Amino acid sequence: MIATLSLLPSRWRALPHARRWGAGLLLALLAVAWLLPLAMPLDPARQDLMNILAAPSLAEPLGTDHLGRSQLARMAAAIRLSTGMALVSVLSAALPGVLLGVLAGWRGGWTDRALGLVADCVLALPGLLLVLLLAAIAPGQFWALYVGIALVLWVEYFRVVRATTRSLAASPQLQASRLLGFGHGYLLRRHLWPALAPAVSTLAAFGAANAILAIAALGFVSIGLEPPTAELGLMMTELLPYYREAPWIILQPIAVLFLLVLGCQLLAGREPQ
Amino acid sequence: MTLHAIDLGVRAGDDCLVAPCSFRLAAGENLTLLGETGAGKSLLAQAIMGTLPAGLEAHGEVRFDDRELLGLPPGERRKLWGRELVLLPQEPWHALDPLMRAGEQVRETYRFVAGDDANPARERTRRALARLGLDRAARRLPGELSGGMAQRLAFAAATAAGGRLVIADEPTKGLDADRRDEVVSLLQEAQRDGGMLLTITHDIRVARRLGGRVMILRDGRCVEEGDAAEVLRRPRSDFGRRLLAADPAEWPARDTPPRALGEPVLRAHGLGKTLGGRALFEGLSLALSPGEVVGITGPSGCGKSTLGNLLLGLGQPDRGHVERAAGIAPHRFQKLYQDPPAAFAPHWTLGTLLDDLLRRHRLAYDRVPPLLERLRLSPALLSRRPGEVSGGELQRLSLLRVLLLDPVLLFADEPTSRLDPLTQREILPLMTDLARERDCALLLVSHDRELIHHSCDRTIALAGDTSMPQPGLAAVATAE
Amino acid sequence: MNRLTSLLLGRLLQAGLVAWGVGTLTFLLTRALPGDMAYRIAAGRYGYENVDRDAAEAVARELSLGGSPLGDYLYWLGDLARLDLGHSLVSGESVWSEVRHQLGHSLGLALVAVLLALLIGPPLGMLAGLRRDGWLDRANLLGAVLLRSLPSFVIGLLLIMVFSVGLGWFPAAGHGGAAHVWLPALALALGLAAVSTRVARNAMAGVARSPFYAFARTKGLSSWIAFRRHGLRNAGVPVVAYLGVQLVYLIEGVVVVESLFAWPGIGHALVHALVARDVPMVQGTALAMGLLFVALNTLVDLTCLLIDPRRRQA
Repeated sequence: MIATLSLLPSRWRALPHARRWGAGLLLALLAVAWLLPLAMPLDPARQDLMNILAAPSLAEPLGTDHLGRSQLARMAAAIRLSTGMALVSVLSAALPGVLLGVLAGWRGGWTDRALGLVADCVLALPGLLLVLLLAAIAPGQFWALYVGIALVLWVEYFRVVRATTRSLAASPQLQASRLLGFGHGYLLRRHLWPALAPAVSTLAAFGAANAILAIAALGFVSIGLEPPTAELGLMMTELLPYYREAPWIILQPIAVLFLLVLGCQLLAGREPQ
Repeated sequence: MTLHAIDLGVRAGDDCLVAPCSFRLAAGENLTLLGETGAGKSLLAQAIMGTLPAGLEAHGEVRFDDRELLGLPPGERRKLWGRELVLLPQEPWHALDPLMRAGEQVRETYRFVAGDDANPARERTRRALARLGLDRAARRLPGELSGGMAQRLAFAAATAAGGRLVIADEPTKGLDADRRDEVVSLLQEAQRDGGMLLTITHDIRVARRLGGRVMILRDGRCVEEGDAAEVLRRPRSDFGRRLLAADPAEWPARDTPPRALGEPVLRAHGLGKTLGGRALFEGLSLALSPGEVVGITGPSGCGKSTLGNLLLGLGQPDRGHVERAAGIAPHRFQKLYQDPPAAFAPHWTLGTLLDDLLRRHRLAYDRVPPLLERLRLSPALLSRRPGEVSGGELQRLSLLRVLLLDPVLLFADEPTSRLDPLTQREILPLMTDLARERDCALLLVSHDRELIHHSCDRTIALAGDTSMPQPGLAAVATAE
Repeated sequence: MNRLTSLLLGRLLQAGLVAWGVGTLTFLLTRALPGDMAYRIAAGRYGYENVDRDAAEAVARELSLGGSPLGDYLYWLGDLARLDLGHSLVSGESVWSEVRHQLGHSLGLALVAVLLALLIGPPLGMLAGLRRDGWLDRANLLGAVLLRSLPSFVIGLLLIMVFSVGLGWFPAAGHGGAAHVWLPALALALGLAAVSTRVARNAMAGVARSPFYAFARTKGLSSWIAFRRHGLRNAGVPVVAYLGVQLVYLIEGVVVVESLFAWPGIGHALVHALVARDVPMVQGTALAMGLLFVALNTLVDLTCLLIDPRRRQA
């Protein structure tokens, strides 16, 4: 752990500019969302009907919404929701995706075909449709949304990892190491993981972006999450009617969603394939 | 019609990549530029064509008839392409549009470069293809052509507009002996009716067969020039002599006396393998004894590597079986690969990988330094990654890696075919010497018959087609 | 088996998987709803106003409902297999006839969106790819990254704010004259174009660097003829192939963008049905969207076969 930490500065400098910008952007947003509530009282649910659609001021740096709720508190809550959910789904999708991908690529044969069929089943439907239907089964519940997103995301890891593993399994470098007497653990550590890690981290960044977009899309059509939850998509729907009176308010969730996704895309460091 | 290069050189900024050299070529003549890979030969071809990559600049003069090419504006220069200057592609397979039918790729040169009308263009295409034996390939895609057909097709497409100066840049890259001769005849075709041929190659045998004049380049500098017959028989420069000596055909005959063979470490009985419906070999039996060097040779695709892999247990034969001598640890059967970088985990330093190996087999580090010295490798290389050392160094490191395990059988699959002739000249004898010294059976696969002939105690020649009489079997019985 | 049959069989299998998946999920949705199952199914069959206690019991008897969940599930899938989708719980109309209308609207929107995207994305991408690292390439990359960070409904929102509320050029929502299609189609198209322009750029840059493109030039073809005869098709193949991947984006976009613009298509209907818990309509619309996805994918596959002769060989 300490070794990892001491490596961080050099790794950081080795990152291309775009990835550094992405990481910086995400860190800034996360800091606002998670650290600000520690410093000041922020309640996303407290209404003040005497002070609705207020312009930004010292007391309310981002103004208030149509129910007089603090926009700063609501934006912070929405970022926490989106990023927290994205992180959990990405992690719980990456683990089975990578493991099953390695298994299928390595073993081949029936294991590979059976797992491939499961992946095809999931891919038969566009991901958002699956998430929508699952979210509708348990309205207002986070778990349904989470299961839906993770279910869609693992397939990407699985496919990429399987393809990489399969081509490596037949490669001279693995054959050479096997002949030299090395076992599975060594092959995984020295050959497979270094080849997989960059792809997996890129996929994780794109996966997070897709999870954030999916949550916002569901909120936007008011399925899955319900008011008064502070969620970016839901907020856009709620605030759209007040666009003429207070355009700055609806632009806030739009800008935050944009920055979150942009941050993930830049962090991914490559274009999606 | 003449091509006259005067002090032609190439530089990148202030770096001189090709030192100024001069040569002259008249109608019906041919000139071969010979040198190692990376000697800047290809840059000269690109300088004459005007296809140098951005950042590189040609200087000097190139007079083509009464025009000075380097001074022409790029647009004017491009008008000469195909019509006067022909550049044959290095790897014809990759030079053909993968989505366009073969005939169409020739027809478009007649139609759009030579400026023929639709019907004459079609007719001339048909005749050109027929002359090169490609009439039935016209409707095929490049992916469906054999290497030789692709080569002829690219030749037809490049020369269709009637250019008189043909520049061939490494035309035999990666080809085996039979295909090489085919390419040479094709090139001679270009020169037949008063055309000019400028060939760039690292292959002495190509230069010799082409004849004409030869210029030997080293590090972007001309070291020698003259008639091919003269230069390639008695080179005056030291480098020329070394280059010549690197040709396997010129290697000294082996003088080690035949030795008594010990008990075999591996026997194969009645091996047969069919791949893609084609029988590669059938009923093949052989035994390999410690310290003997056995060559496997034959045309590409005849199953040389497959046979080696079967013997090593990396594949299963369809018929017959392979038997190892009892009591030998499995890791003492080892392999060397054609492409050295592909045989190493690319993300770790060579030292790390070597340590892994020593730890895995509980070996002491003091075995390493003597081997490094014997293989003429600097210990500093161990702090680099596989991609950061040269191919020759890496192949010697693979040799070091397997020698640490005291192999009884080493299967070397085209171990030097990706290396320079000079590097090959250095590594291959080292490999055979070490095998003999350490009583390790060496199974050497190569498409180069001369190389096998000069390195091995006996040879297995595979024909690649078992419907013919089986030279494989005969060769096994009669050690050379 | 040649390539065409195996391709069509694969897509047929996918269609089967879609139907099974949608059927299963909507079945789960039914189980999750409060209230009596037989009553809901009867309502689904005959429409809400025609349902009474007797009808519900008749259904229950007929299906031996209230039996095992497995039996109910098989019966549910059996209905689906007979293509019996029932009636909307809200309007009482047959699901088939509703879906047919909506599908037409959605197809129209999707078609305009794809055409717009193809007009915007690939040409800019190819120009950028021919001049790698030029100003157009940089602008193209910047635009694509920014656009990709905006989901289609946010693009739609911004378009409404600028062109509808701000400038008043286009109607914001609804369906009527040709003017209504522009904003929703553009919202979808911009997202699609952002990706396809980079695919086209990378493909074109790859072709421009390839030995066969260099050979086309050195054998004497002019820049324009080399581009027309060798560049366009070779760079076009990945663009079309990638369109298949982008269909996911298109279908997802249709759901949300139609809701935003109140476009009376299949996505809008799906969201409505989900909110109203109108299970037969959920099943019908989700099925139609899933099958549309498969059908469009098949179309992309066939186009690939058409323009890439290599794929026609087994």
